[in-house]
Amino acid sequence: MPIYAPTLPPAPDLHQGHPPALVLMRFDLARLWRQKIGRFFGFAFLMILLWKVARIYVDHLLQTNPAFKPMQDFAKTILTQGAAFQADLLNPASYLLWFLVALVGGGLVARDTLYRVRPLMYAHPVAPKDYLLAKLGFASLLPFAILLPFALLPWLMSLVLAGLHGPVWVTAPLRLLPAMAISSVLMGSLAVGASSMASTPRAGIGWVLGLVLGTGALSAMLRGLTGIQAFDALNPVELAEAWPQLFVGVDRPLVAWLPAILGTAFHTGLWTFVAARRTRPSEAVI
Amino acid sequence: MITLDRASLRYGPILGLSPTTFELPEGGGITGLLGPNGAGKSSLLQLLSGLLPPSGGEVKVFGEAPFRNPAVLSRLGLVPEGDRLPTGLRADRWLRMMGELSGLSGEGLKAAMIRSLDTVGMADRAHLTFARMSKGMRQRIRLAQALLHEPELLILDEPFNGLDPEARLTLMALLRDLAAKGTRILVSSHILGEIAQLTDRILLLFRGRLLAEGTVTEIRQLLDRHPVELRLTGEAQILARWAVEQPELAALRMEDGAVVISVRSPRDILPRLQKAAAEGHIPLLALDPLDLNLDAVFQYLTKDHA
Repeated sequence: MPIYAPTLPPAPDLHQGHPPALVLMRFDLARLWRQKIGRFFGFAFLMILLWKVARIYVDHLLQTNPAFKPMQDFAKTILTQGAAFQADLLNPASYLLWFLVALVGGGLVARDTLYRVRPLMYAHPVAPKDYLLAKLGFASLLPFAILLPFALLPWLMSLVLAGLHGPVWVTAPLRLLPAMAISSVLMGSLAVGASSMASTPRAGIGWVLGLVLGTGALSAMLRGLTGIQAFDALNPVELAEAWPQLFVGVDRPLVAWLPAILGTAFHTGLWTFVAARRTRPSEAVI
Repeated sequence: MITLDRASLRYGPILGLSPTTFELPEGGGITGLLGPNGAGKSSLLQLLSGLLPPSGGEVKVFGEAPFRNPAVLSRLGLVPEGDRLPTGLRADRWLRMMGELSGLSGEGLKAAMIRSLDTVGMADRAHLTFARMSKGMRQRIRLAQALLHEPELLILDEPFNGLDPEARLTLMALLRDLAAKGTRILVSSHILGEIAQLTDRILLLFRGRLLAEGTVTEIRQLLDRHPVELRLTGEAQILARWAVEQPELAALRMEDGAVVISVRSPRDILPRLQKAAAEGHIPLLALDPLDLNLDAVFQYLTKDHA
């Protein structure tokens, strides 16, 4: 017969903790921090950022130092200061950023699938929406955090060096930050959706890259067949590059407003839906 | 503590668990969930650990439906089947995350980690990565994870799979100790010996149906179709002569120096046998029940329902 004990010891207080989504995001961040891929990407993005900041400083010198007067006309041709220049601030080697998102985001859900961690998480007070929120949040915050210095540092430097009439518009962050947010959510949802379809982190990376390149090829094919430029909105890389252009008002953006809205909604909705379906408790077999 | 009222689980067209009704009372103790592969053990555990809602009927743990119910989930601990853990990850970091997901933080979490690692005997090795741990060590860490928030109900799915005999015995001792301290433990296994070593109270599942519930003796007594076999060792001729006079006798066979009798109601015949032996009417040296064990019960039940 079983042994019955009269009482249990007092239960610990379980209501002091942090929200589950925050716990999971912090765990993923710590794991990423321990991995060494950050060194390569950190160096690469730092170099690109320095180049962009250096361009602003050179522009400042050309404007203010008489010794550079003869070079001004030449400089104007390479230092565009219109809307395209503002939008270009958020273009830190777009493919490199997508590659980073694939490398990190591709394993976010797939790793938990491989190690069957999800059933264990769902047996804790963690709802599937907490899990999805954590993964989407992390995958979206990563590109956002990388893009943030590209939007703010040149703007700050321009403001310090040349005041209100610098090469970066004073209102640039107001236009660039929403564009960054949309592009980041697009990247994050695609990465998490792709990762949820994979059973290993490597396969997840393959899925992300496959979806990015595959939808890009599909959009190019459809545009080539029909001649309709709006099909470019199927290409997530072009979409991510188009949003800063749209917000700063570039004359000929890669994708127009309506196709960009529809394309982004399509990708974000589809991949979030896929991720939600693939991370349901019923998919978590114990 | 656990109540199932005609609870069933379907995976699309496949019935994982037929409508099942049973109740486990409050308090500590170990209950074995026994059945061959595909019997529905994992389906039942998924229902109890709140991973899936029942397709029909009702499941209640601590008086509430466990599906997506933090009030229930924070009171139970789960050790799922399998040995897959993130190989490059340190056990203590994994435990910390799991503790935080249970709602622990700060000093409370630290104390819980120390306590649960002490309980499973892994306090000095928690800094190792999973890749550097043996299977037994990893299983103990998984158990520590389930114990962090001091659950009242501990659910273990095939916890002995792949463990060597020593690690198996260590884990069994650990579970017995936890049960003695008041934790209700539900252990699933498809290996009879493991459950028989661990507990007497079983839930027997077969092909998605709950065939029996209770102690081995209780269940055996309900199997009227299969008379209990008793081996009487001694003077076989005299013992056989005594046995054929008993109304409960269903069958008899002679062995070398013993007689094996099948009786329908052992509770009635055993006092008479005891009395006859005590008074010297029969030369009885030993009495062995041959099919009063879990193995026999399992065989009879599964044959009857096959």
